Amino acid sequence: MAIATQGTASNYLQRAPSPSGLADVIDLILDKGLVIDAYVRIAVIGIELITIDARIVIASVDTYLRFAEAVNRLDLTQTEAAGLAELRGDDNGGDGKGKGMIEGAKEAFSGDRRQKERSEQD
Amino acid sequence: MAAQTSSRAGPDSAAVGGLYCYGVTWAKVGPPDRASGVGGEAVGVVADGGLAALTSAVASTSIKAKRRDLLNHSEVLAAALERGTVLPLRFGVVFEDETALVDEFLRPRREEFERLLKQFEGRVELTVRAAYDEQAILAEVVNENPRIARLREETRHGNAAATYPLKVELGELVAAELRKRTDRDQRALLDRLRRLALDVEVDQEPIEHQVLRASFLVERGKVSAFDDAMEELAREHAGRIRFKYVGPLAPHSFVSVGTPGAA
Repeated sequence: MAIATQGTASNYLQRAPSPSGLADVIDLILDKGLVIDAYVRIAVIGIELITIDARIVIASVDTYLRFAEAVNRLDLTQTEAAGLAELRGDDNGGDGKGKGMIEGAKEAFSGDRRQKERSEQD
Repeated sequence: MAAQTSSRAGPDSAAVGGLYCYGVTWAKVGPPDRASGVGGEAVGVVADGGLAALTSAVASTSIKAKRRDLLNHSEVLAAALERGTVLPLRFGVVFEDETALVDEFLRPRREEFERLLKQFEGRVELTVRAAYDEQAILAEVVNENPRIARLREETRHGNAAATYPLKVELGELVAAELRKRTDRDQRALLDRLRRLALDVEVDQEPIEHQVLRASFLVERGKVSAFDDAMEELAREHAGRIRFKYVGPLAPHSFVSVGTPGAA
């Protein structure tokens, strides 16, 4: 069941030769690169369909309450156990916790706290 | 000085549609193999002098930014980078036809493009994103800040109305701790990586749990040292920070040109 083979760090480092997800590619090619408006007939429609919903940190009561809830829900005994299993490089973890964390990593980055929605109907 | 093109751009497509442009490279580099372009079209080159624009036909001068097309744009550039230095264009640059591309883009800017191509020779962009594991960083905050730990206990039970002000206080303290840690960790990561790079662009937008989002301009010869540094950092922060590391890429974050002079 173990996916990690190179010790604990590999669970936390994802390497890719080129952007694999929409989030990466949007950062890279919509905001960056040469653009020379004056010479170029440029017309891109549909970019507004890609809504970028990054959760920007805003100082507000709502944010504070959300953090408070998250801290309240926190199971400190579990995170400690997981942390120790990670440190030992014990991805069998006795109870399959190692696997959960690897999958968690994938989840976190493919979703990436940014939800890109798009319309590909046409 | 005549513009040449790959045989694929037929006269019909040029007449009704436009020419999508991905980037600029040396003419001798040639078109990338095994990459299909925006709309699935084959990628060719339009060359003038020693320069070449990577292009493909598009049905109209308006383009819809579809997921597949965005990825294709980036893959064309990644494939081109394997063959030589390339200056990446932003997504969505379309010329009317080859003549427009050469007369309005390649030729008037030849010196500038040549200078940039020389400047970026052997240099690639590496992007790094680092984000906290939420559970781990919150546990760290609770364990290391006694006031937060106490407020957490006080607000875990009891009725919502009574604990409301304490929860706001708790959340505010957590937010401040996260900010502090983000600043500290971002500085630490940058200190380690910056010394391997010629240039760095750091995204300053405060995204929740994001520790760092940055692009590094790195000599090709130093990429493996950068790999090692990334692995070291991932080991040191295992359990609390997740890293996503992409590259080598064309220097998207580092190319820029001046405002067009009157040609």
